[in-house]
Amino acid sequence: MKTLLIACLLLVSRLAAADPACPHCAPDTAGPVKVEAYSTRSLYQLDARFTDDAGRPFALSELRGRPVVLDLFFASCGYACPLTVTDMQALRGQLPPAVRDRTAFVLVSFDVARDTPAALARYRAQRQLDGQWILLHGDDSAVRELAALVGVKYRQAADGSFSHSNLLTLLNPKGEIVHQRVGLQGGLPQAAAALAAAAR
Amino acid sequence: MVKIPAGTYIPLLRTEQDPAAVPVAAFLLDERPVTNAEFLAFVTAVPKWRRSLVSPLFADASYLGQWSGDLTPGPAAPPDAPVVRVSWFAARAFARWAGKRLPTTAEWELAAGAGYTQPDGRNDPGLQRDLYAWLARPVPDVLPAAGHGRPDCHGVRELQGLVWEWVEDFNSAMVTGESRADSGLERNLFCGAGSVGAKDTTNYAAFMRLALRSSLAANNTTTSLGFRCAQDAPP
Repeated sequence: MKTLLIACLLLVSRLAAADPACPHCAPDTAGPVKVEAYSTRSLYQLDARFTDDAGRPFALSELRGRPVVLDLFFASCGYACPLTVTDMQALRGQLPPAVRDRTAFVLVSFDVARDTPAALARYRAQRQLDGQWILLHGDDSAVRELAALVGVKYRQAADGSFSHSNLLTLLNPKGEIVHQRVGLQGGLPQAAAALAAAAR
Repeated sequence: MVKIPAGTYIPLLRTEQDPAAVPVAAFLLDERPVTNAEFLAFVTAVPKWRRSLVSPLFADASYLGQWSGDLTPGPAAPPDAPVVRVSWFAARAFARWAGKRLPTTAEWELAAGAGYTQPDGRNDPGLQRDLYAWLARPVPDVLPAAGHGRPDCHGVRELQGLVWEWVEDFNSAMVTGESRADSGLERNLFCGAGSVGAKDTTNYAAFMRLALRSSLAANNTTTSLGFRCAQDAPP
């Protein structure tokens, strides 16, 4: 209920911003809406820039306000990454509907050479990922920085594949890490509970 | 900066899938580690990297802990001594501010492999002696000035012998905390974990660097960990 109320308030404030002529909800003062500073633990302090699979520039801070399930992966991965994406889908099914519908499922590729936006778009089609999934391409520096921030280690092998940590990271709407699922198996109920609690 | 000629980096620890040799293009490397005076100029220019203002996400609580204040290095951090207690994020931010970047592991290790008198330091008894003497010494409370060590054959000083140094891809070093898992990386924690074998088991110092890198988080700072910058070599 509380979540719903906040969602309504957010909607109202958005309408207000979108339509200043609205007599009942016009803001008291003109000028830009005051944006609260990021919390000191917010990943959105990172100024790294990414590109989504439609080729649009994407800043992580655009995820602000939504619960986030974040995984670093590479599209040609034959072992762990497909399992992790499947687990993310399973996690989605375990979330309460109110949380599930506004959660962003974010895949960031460390295969900066091969996972171009077009390659990520193909991956989206192959895995039938809907609009709640955000697939991101970044340059070496941006991906390295994000990986360092969430504690993911990775290294490219001679055949072009990657050795990498299997780490699923959950962010609250402020962009703070609230839970990490380490390894490949299990831990989904705990992850779902942590995300649901953080999204309240 | 000093030009390091193109060469080949032989990774110390690799899985079956890792390349046996990594070609490294020629690049420029700072002659010595970044000093307190240089880092002071950086935090003066970019306030968000001052000790009292930095986000805990980007630097832990001991960040610049040897400094007397935000803009006062003080007696424990002489201007010419290498800056330590800096995080990977801070080192990178400094490098970007300076128009440079951090060296990669391959670049750093290639450079550090050079001897005083010959490109291959493994056969340089003087270098090995100095290196192990340094590893055996505790870190002094106040570090000596940088830039006075014996230069290697390229003219680079103190890659080893003064402080440890951050590299751009420090988080490519993967070692599990489980000593019994020495036959391979924990399959469940790391994808692509095959059998792990060390290339050169006599290179004790390289093991220490690998252990250090694999144990660090990007916001960690230590009393003996500094950095220097690199740049692509002009074509």
